[in-house]
Amino acid sequence: MSNVLPQAAGLEVNNVVYRYTTDKVAEDAMLVHVQNENAQGPGYIFRASDDWSGLPGNTISKAIPVGGIPLDFWGDGSIEVEGFGTVLDPEVYYTYQYLPCNTPQDNPSCEGYIDPLTLIPETEVDTSSEEYIQAEIDRKANLQAQKEQEEKDARDKMAKATEEKVRESLEKMLGLSLGASLQKEQDTLLHNALVSTNYLPRNYLVAISGGEYPDAEPLKDSDLPDNAKGRRVNFAQQLLHQKIVQSQYD
Amino acid sequence: MKKLVILLFCAFSAQAEEMEVVGNVESKCIVTPDTAGVYGNPTPDVLSTDPTDGGVDPVVRFDVIQASMYKARILYPTSFSESPALNDVVAWTGDVATSQVSDTGMSGYDAAKVEFDNVTEFSLTVAGSTWFKTETQADYGYGKAFPGGVYRAVVSAECIAI
Repeated sequence: MSNVLPQAAGLEVNNVVYRYTTDKVAEDAMLVHVQNENAQGPGYIFRASDDWSGLPGNTISKAIPVGGIPLDFWGDGSIEVEGFGTVLDPEVYYTYQYLPCNTPQDNPSCEGYIDPLTLIPETEVDTSSEEYIQAEIDRKANLQAQKEQEEKDARDKMAKATEEKVRESLEKMLGLSLGASLQKEQDTLLHNALVSTNYLPRNYLVAISGGEYPDAEPLKDSDLPDNAKGRRVNFAQQLLHQKIVQSQYD
Repeated sequence: MKKLVILLFCAFSAQAEEMEVVGNVESKCIVTPDTAGVYGNPTPDVLSTDPTDGGVDPVVRFDVIQASMYKARILYPTSFSESPALNDVVAWTGDVATSQVSDTGMSGYDAAKVEFDNVTEFSLTVAGSTWFKTETQADYGYGKAFPGGVYRAVVSAECIAI
């Protein structure tokens, strides 16, 4: 029923008005139920039945008071037919009432409405404090960084667009449609075109001399003699170290 | 010996009052025009309220609070209340039927209606509202064209206590 009744707080339905036409043979049994499911439980919150059994078809128009049933109880509506016959041109209307200012905050024109902005406490700022000055410096720095980042993004975007433009113009010139499929012939043609326009760096085209580089001769294991000179240097270092340590006590 | 005789006279004044008893009876049957009729002119010699002829059937509503106490009497017109000068005969036909009901029981009104002359009577045996539509047609002369002008006719509807 959310698409039929306005979802206003405090809304109550007072009457259900319906009209439909029956098409039937007079002798046939026919029962028509106009109903709404109970959204808060099983069964129906509203159900009106018309017994057309043994009567010729006609257009019926009824207004049924329901006594102010709250909106929450109104579930999906339907017209159910038992027996033989059809219902044509059904129309169902609901009359309702609600207090527009049931919740004062719904509308600024309601009595008792409180402006939410007035509820926010105003804080006094000491502009001479170190925290404030530091925050201002940080804010300006952030703004500057943000601005630089935006400029960089704009430059990158422009460079990318230019590159894309060159690529597209080359593709158009060559009548290619590269897209997702990189076919060998098309790649070759594009490569040649790029070379001819000096778009590619020249070192892309320098050939590297190939060939085979065998491993060098490995060292063979043998008896390696001690280095006498190295031992003497090591000993001299030790003596010097002891001398320096002793000097701090002398 | 003296005897004291006290005579008491009680005087009663003779007075008469007349009291008025007032009663107000409001009809439990209300007749309300619902849809104004319009004549269509499908051929030069015919005026008809039939929608297929371009007309609109007049509709009148009867609201009955008490069942089986009233009957509806509806008369389709047999003359124009306003028209240009006519020098030939107008043949009138008409039919009255329910067009809408507020209770399925009223759907049987058509089968039980009584017709005579240009009068149709319905016994209002169910409380509620019933809409009656009146189809009326006027044929001029023997295939003769109606003179140009405005034509008006009156459908009469009344509620009669049984």
